[in-house]
Amino acid sequence: MFDATDSAASGSTPGVQAPRVGVFVCHCGGNISDVVDVKRVAEEAARMPDVVFTTTHMFHCSDPGQALIEQKIREHALTRVVVAACSPTLHQITFRRAVERAGLNQYLFEHVNIREHVSWVIEDKEAATAKASRLVRAAVNRARLLVPLDKRRIPIHPAALVIGGGVAGLMAARDLGDRGMKVTLIENRPFLGGRMAQLWNVFPTNEEARPLLSNLVRDVVKHPLITILTGAHVVNSEGVVGDFKTKIKIDARGVDERLTYPGNAIAACPEETISEFDFALSRRKAIYMPYPGCFPPIPAIDWHTCTKCGKCVAAVGGKGINLDAKSRELTLHSGVIILATGYDPYEPLLGEYGYGIFPKVITLQQLHRMLDPEGPTAGALPFDSNTPVRIGFLHCVGARQIDGVNAPQPDGKVKDYCARTCCTAAMHAAVALRERFPKSHITSFYQDMRTYGRGHEEYYEQASQQGVLFVRYSPWHPPRVDKDRTGKWPVVVRTNDLLTDGLPIEVPLDLLVLATGVVPHDISELVTMYSCAVGYDSFLLEVHPKLRPVELAVSGVFLAGCCQGPMDITEACSAASAAASKAAAMISQGQVEMDPFIASVDEEVCTGCQTCLTVCPYDAIVRDEARGLAIVSEALCTGCGTCAAACPSSAIQQAGFNDRQVRAEIDVLLGV
Amino acid sequence: MSQADLTPVPVETPTSQPWEPRIIAFLCYWCSYTGADNAGTSRLKYPANVDIIRVMCSGRIDPDLIMTAFAQGADGVMVCGCHIGDCHYIAGNHKTMTRMPLLSRVLQDFGIEPERFVHEWVSAAEGDKFAKLVRQVTEQVRQVGRLDWPGRMYRRGVGHGEDLQPWGDQA
Ligand code: FES
Repeated sequence: MFDATDSAASGSTPGVQAPRVGVFVCHCGGNISDVVDVKRVAEEAARMPDVVFTTTHMFHCSDPGQALIEQKIREHALTRVVVAACSPTLHQITFRRAVERAGLNQYLFEHVNIREHVSWVIEDKEAATAKASRLVRAAVNRARLLVPLDKRRIPIHPAALVIGGGVAGLMAARDLGDRGMKVTLIENRPFLGGRMAQLWNVFPTNEEARPLLSNLVRDVVKHPLITILTGAHVVNSEGVVGDFKTKIKIDARGVDERLTYPGNAIAACPEETISEFDFALSRRKAIYMPYPGCFPPIPAIDWHTCTKCGKCVAAVGGKGINLDAKSRELTLHSGVIILATGYDPYEPLLGEYGYGIFPKVITLQQLHRMLDPEGPTAGALPFDSNTPVRIGFLHCVGARQIDGVNAPQPDGKVKDYCARTCCTAAMHAAVALRERFPKSHITSFYQDMRTYGRGHEEYYEQASQQGVLFVRYSPWHPPRVDKDRTGKWPVVVRTNDLLTDGLPIEVPLDLLVLATGVVPHDISELVTMYSCAVGYDSFLLEVHPKLRPVELAVSGVFLAGCCQGPMDITEACSAASAAASKAAAMISQGQVEMDPFIASVDEEVCTGCQTCLTVCPYDAIVRDEARGLAIVSEALCTGCGTCAAACPSSAIQQAGFNDRQVRAEIDVLLGV
Repeated sequence: MSQADLTPVPVETPTSQPWEPRIIAFLCYWCSYTGADNAGTSRLKYPANVDIIRVMCSGRIDPDLIMTAFAQGADGVMVCGCHIGDCHYIAGNHKTMTRMPLLSRVLQDFGIEPERFVHEWVSAAEGDKFAKLVRQVTEQVRQVGRLDWPGRMYRRGVGHGEDLQPWGDQA
């Protein structure tokens, strides 16, 4: 076996207190202790050398849990602390602070992850307990070798980058601007406003969406501290909190403010394509504006559709349109980043509830476009107000799906989460339709009515009062949308109504509206660029839903709106404001703290071979010519440890991850 | 305090439990460790044979540490880092990318089967991939069986046999 003294011995560090280790094992309210025998883990840790105290607690991250750690540090004069709990991305900082409050250097703390890496992934209780115990004892052995380190402080670049120009991004930018912060807002489409611009009227205030949005856009556009870049895509990101360097590519718009009569240019354009803004309900030109009053108030050219025929240029006398415009690249410096990349409405699969097969099956988003007076049908539905039309709303399309019942998505998974907004949105639309078509018959096919928000339940109530018929279907037997055999109706919905004891019913309809779910906008490139944590539902994952709800684990990156999960506008705006204040708080600190895991050279051992110079990604190591040694520049070193791995004589060591500390873990993990 | 004074860690006496592969996984903190967290938050299940050691960047993973793990009785070693281009430290993983295939060759010369040493990129979002990888590596290491490298080397007289005395022959 191994010689344990070897790992823990050899050499001494002056000024380091002898190890007196305290081990704290968290139940996490059952999240851990339901699988792992936490008592046994603590007992086994107690048998490790230098361990003077062990305990378990229901929630170590809670105030009493932290207070206990502080108290025990003082009581037992602990000099090293090991906490076994959730992932360090979540609470390492919490416990480091607690340790510091008790007067101990925060880097004398070691965090063990026995939740994400043990209790949540290992089913066998015995194996899970054994693994947790191994990890904790390994951490104890490592903790024995920890030395106090000082946080490094670096100045923060006093500017924020907001990615996404929808309502959340606009809100975050405005809030930051109002606090006196410099902001750059980038939007990858050519126009601001995001998904909210496509809505006609919004709950719970029954206001028209676009005038509401315009107020916000106006504030942002006029703000002296905010720079707006549309058609801008992030291509690369470097740096860390305090100084993110984001390289962006700005698409050529092809049009500038000198174009005074955009209408003429648009009319002259012979090329057409499907309008994504109208969810394919209409067609648009290659040079286009999605709606009157959009921002920027000038058209953009869709280069995929444009053939550069030059007719638009001719129509406006050549002023303001440049068909040879080139995209450009620039690098933005910012101290913090807010992600407000939003969502996409769930696009039903071909044939899902008749979508794409029956023309009278549309999505709720399409209905909104049709009801919009500025929309493709100028607010008209294909019926007049006197016909007794039959309209159906089908809830939970692309939401709350069940594996094995619903067809999987291209990624192989089903959308099993609740999209949270569609019940209220469907009720809101049903009420509006009842008002507009007093003779209509509206049926709502739902699983559970989740009109959960303030002022939302009222729509359900109104809909009931106005005679909307409710049919509750079982998610295990979703309704079937078929062709009517008599040919009288465009579609029929067949289902079993749970409200009448599963009675099979058949509802013929003139129009079926699918209340579709919410999926995150595809930002896979940003996800890898910023190493964002992503939940099982593919939405970005905050550090903690309650304690740090708008922060990503990557320091300095914040979340605003639907990139984090389905939200209505109200919630997205609150999240955006929260993210903005978090970001502003960080910027106004003036500096950020960085982990001190930097490299240093043992001058006695260094042979001056310069291997480290060649591997450092930051050119942080130089050769001291006079003495023939390598020297690490502390200001430039970011603490990756690549040099430490490369040094053939182990002369470079990384603070917090030196060879002996890592080996101390290996020793115990394999000593079993 | 002199660290030489530290008390040795007690060595657990081997139990009569059936053999289970012991695998050490070195993970960089930014992508792969978070990816492993993602497997947890998604409640994916995988075997308990893989123990994770966290380093800040896969660039820190010294081949020497991997050799140490094998020498101390690991049956398999995994190395995971951010995908190329995503390293939190720009290019730490470029070094990993060149080191690991080389090491893999060297390991084979030492009689360590390629199944025992796996090097993969795992992003923060790839909990799925991580869980699958753990299952796969555990299974393939189980297939090739116990390594007992110290004992093997000693028996074959590879390297410096004298140095291996302290580990003993576990055959
Ligand atoms: S930080 Fe993950 S490989 Fe460098």
